[in-house]
Amino acid sequence: MTEKWKEEKWAEDIWYSGKVTRRRVIGWGGGAIGAMMLVPAPWRAAFGAEKAYKIGSEQPLSGAGAAGGKTAVVGLQMAADRINKNGGINGRPVELDIVDDESSPAVARQKTEKLVQEDNIDAHVGGFLSNICLACMPVWEDAKIINMISVCLDTTLTTTHCNRYSFRTYDYAPAQAVAFAPTLTKMGKKWHIAFADYSWGQSTRDAYIAHIKENGGEVVGTTGIPLGTPDMTPFLSKISGDFDGLFGIFFGKDGVTLVTQAYDLGLTKKYKFAGDGSISESTNLIAIGNKIDGFTAINRYIPVFQGPLDTPYHHAWFNEAKERLAKIDPSGPLPDKYVQSNFEALNALKIGMEKSKFQTRADTMKLVEALEGLELKAGPDFPQGDKTIRKEDHQAFPQEFIFTVSGGTYHLIETVPGAKTVVPPACNFSA
Amino acid sequence: MTTAPLDKAIPLGRLRLGHSAVFWLGFCAVTVLLIAAPLVLPEFWRRFLTEVLIWGLLAMSSDLLIGYTGMISFGHSAFFGLGMYGAAGALLMVSPPNLWLAILLGLAGAAGAALFVAFFSTRLRDIYFAITTLIFSQIFYVIIFTWTAVTGGENGLIFTRPHLTIPLLYNARFTSTTLHWFVLAVVAGSYLILHRITQSPFGMVLQSIRENESRTRAIGYAVERYKMMSVMLSGLFAGLAGVLYAIQNEFAAPDFVYFLTSGDTVIYNVLGGIGTLVGPIVGAGFFQLARQLLAQAFGDQFPYLIPLGLVFIATIIFLPQGILGFARRWLNR
Repeated sequence: MTEKWKEEKWAEDIWYSGKVTRRRVIGWGGGAIGAMMLVPAPWRAAFGAEKAYKIGSEQPLSGAGAAGGKTAVVGLQMAADRINKNGGINGRPVELDIVDDESSPAVARQKTEKLVQEDNIDAHVGGFLSNICLACMPVWEDAKIINMISVCLDTTLTTTHCNRYSFRTYDYAPAQAVAFAPTLTKMGKKWHIAFADYSWGQSTRDAYIAHIKENGGEVVGTTGIPLGTPDMTPFLSKISGDFDGLFGIFFGKDGVTLVTQAYDLGLTKKYKFAGDGSISESTNLIAIGNKIDGFTAINRYIPVFQGPLDTPYHHAWFNEAKERLAKIDPSGPLPDKYVQSNFEALNALKIGMEKSKFQTRADTMKLVEALEGLELKAGPDFPQGDKTIRKEDHQAFPQEFIFTVSGGTYHLIETVPGAKTVVPPACNFSA
Repeated sequence: MTTAPLDKAIPLGRLRLGHSAVFWLGFCAVTVLLIAAPLVLPEFWRRFLTEVLIWGLLAMSSDLLIGYTGMISFGHSAFFGLGMYGAAGALLMVSPPNLWLAILLGLAGAAGAALFVAFFSTRLRDIYFAITTLIFSQIFYVIIFTWTAVTGGENGLIFTRPHLTIPLLYNARFTSTTLHWFVLAVVAGSYLILHRITQSPFGMVLQSIRENESRTRAIGYAVERYKMMSVMLSGLFAGLAGVLYAIQNEFAAPDFVYFLTSGDTVIYNVLGGIGTLVGPIVGAGFFQLARQLLAQAFGDQFPYLIPLGLVFIATIIFLPQGILGFARRWLNR
C-alpha cells in the first residue's frame, strides 16, 4: 500500500526504469565481471595473461627476530620488483607470498604447511632464525619444494641436516673461520673467545678454535654468555690473563652489549678486539658509537665502496636498498647482509628456474639439478660478488671481507676470495 | 564447579535418555565425525585438525589439575617438552625409528619431570604452587636451551617420523590420514581414561581437595599423596601430547618448554571450560581456528592476539564456565 505511488502513470518511467529485475542483475553482473577481467592487474599489462610464479617466504615479522625479518623482506621485495620489471622469469611474473613466523617454530611450521598446501607456492626463499629453518626443513623435503635459505647461519643446515631441496647461497661459520684465522694469528697468537652460549655461538666457537690452532695460534679460554643477557659484566669481568686478543661471537643487541661493556671494563684497550661481523652490523653501529673503534671483523657483506665492492652495480643496489630501508626505519640504516642475502637468494632461484625451464612444482627435480653447481657471477643480480653453489652440499662460498671499524665507518683491510674459504662438504648429493 | 547430576534424564523428543547414554551417544557422534574428517578435508586442514587434537590433549591433561584438583599449573610446558625430547631421543638413537619406543621414552621423560615437580610443589597451594611450577618449567627450559650437545640447544632436534607399526602385523609409513587417526585414537583413549579417573573415588577425592583441602585432610585423606598423583597423571598425559607433536612435526624445540606454552594451555582451559575435559579441547580448537581464520581474512600480519585477548576477557566476564560450560548449561535448561 505504501508503494502505491509506483503504479501511478507519472511514476512509471521513474520506477520501472530503475527497477531491479533478474535480467538486469544478470546483465550488469556479467558486465561487471567482464570489466574486472579486462581491468589490468599491476603485472598483467607487462605479462599478458601469464600466471605468476608464487614464491613463498617465511620471515620473522613479529617477535624476537622482527627487526631483522623486516630488513630481510626489503631484499626479497627488491629482487622481486627488479625481476618483474625486467620481464619476469621465463616470461612469467613473480609474486611473493610472505608469512610471519612470529619467531616461533610452532607457528612457522603451521604457516609453511599452509604455503605448501593451501597457497601452492612454486618455491620458497626465506628463513631467518636458525631454529625455525631447521624446524621447517622436513616441510620442504616432504613436499619436494626448493628451499633457498636466505639468512639462517646454522652450520648443520648444509651439513648434518642437509637435504636435496635446500640451498644456501651465502657463507657459514666454518668458511669464515678458515678465511679469518690467518689474520687473527697475525694479530696475536693467544686468543680468548666470548660467545653467545647457544648452538650458533658454540658451533662458531668450535670452528675458530680449530682454525686458529691450524694456523699456529691457540685459544686459551672461552666464556659463554647466555643469549639476551642484558648485563654481561659478571661474565666479562672474569676475562683476564695472558692472551693477545679477545674474540666475540654475538649478534643483534647482544653485540651492542658486548662491545659497550667490554669497553667500559677496559678489555678492548688491554687486548686486541676482533669478532664475528654480526657484532658490527650497520644497525648496531649507531648504538655502539666510538666504543667499537679498532674492532676487526669478518663479514660477507659490508656497506662500503672499496675494493671489489666499488662497482656500478653495487652502487645502484646500495642506493635502492638504502632508500627502501629508510621507509621502514626512519633512522636510515645502511643495507646489511640480511638485505643482500635475500636479494641474491631470489636471483639465484631465478637463474635456476630459467636454466631448468621450470614451470610447475613437477619440475622441481630439474630445478635442483640446475641449481647444483650453479655459478653466480658478480653483477646487478649478485652485487656481493661471484659465488658457486657447491653440488655436493648446496653450500656457496662467497668472498669474505675482513675490515676494521673506526669513526662509525668500515675500512676494508682484506678480501678473501671464496675459493680460499672452502671447507670439505659434510654431505654429498652428487654421489 | 558444576557438573550434570549423574542420574538426571535428558529429554530428547519423546525419548528420555540417561546421562550415561547421552554421554556415549555424544562421544560416538564426535568420534565418528573426527574419523570422517580427514576423508573430506583438504591436506592443510587435515593436518590442522590433527594439531588441534594434540594441543587439546595437552589442555585436557592440565584440566585434571586446574579443573578437578584446583591447582593452577604453569609447568605443563615442561611435561610437554620433556615428552617431546624423550620421543626425539628415541627416534634419533634407534634405527629404524620405532614409534612405540618413542612413546615409551617420551612418557618416561614426562613422568620423570612430573615426579620431580610434584615432589617439591605439591606441599604448596594456590599462587605458590603456580609460581613453583612456573619456575620448574623455566629451569627445564634453561637446561634444554644450553645443553646443546644433548638437546641441540636453541636449534632443537630434527628427526624422521617413525612408521606406524604393530609388531608382526602391520608396518607402513604414516600418511596425514593415518596419522590423524592415530592421534585421534590416542586422544580419545586419553579422554576416556581421564574421564574414568575423574568419576572414580580417586577423582572424587581430587574434587574434594579442590573444594576444601583442609576438610579433606581432616577426614583422613593423605592430600599431598593425592596431589602428587594428580600432578604425575597430568604430566604423563601432557608428555603424551608432546610425543604426538614430535611425531607429527618431526622436530623438538626448546620454545615448547618455555612458559608461554603453559600460558596457552591455561587460556585453552578458560576458553573451553574448566573442569569439563572436553572443554579444553574445544578451547584449543577455538583459539587455533580463530588465529588461522583471522590471518586468512585480514592478512598474515594481522595482530590476532588483540581480538583473541578481547574474546578471552569477554569469556571470563560473561562466560566464566567457558564455551562448553555455557553450552551445557544452555542444553540443561
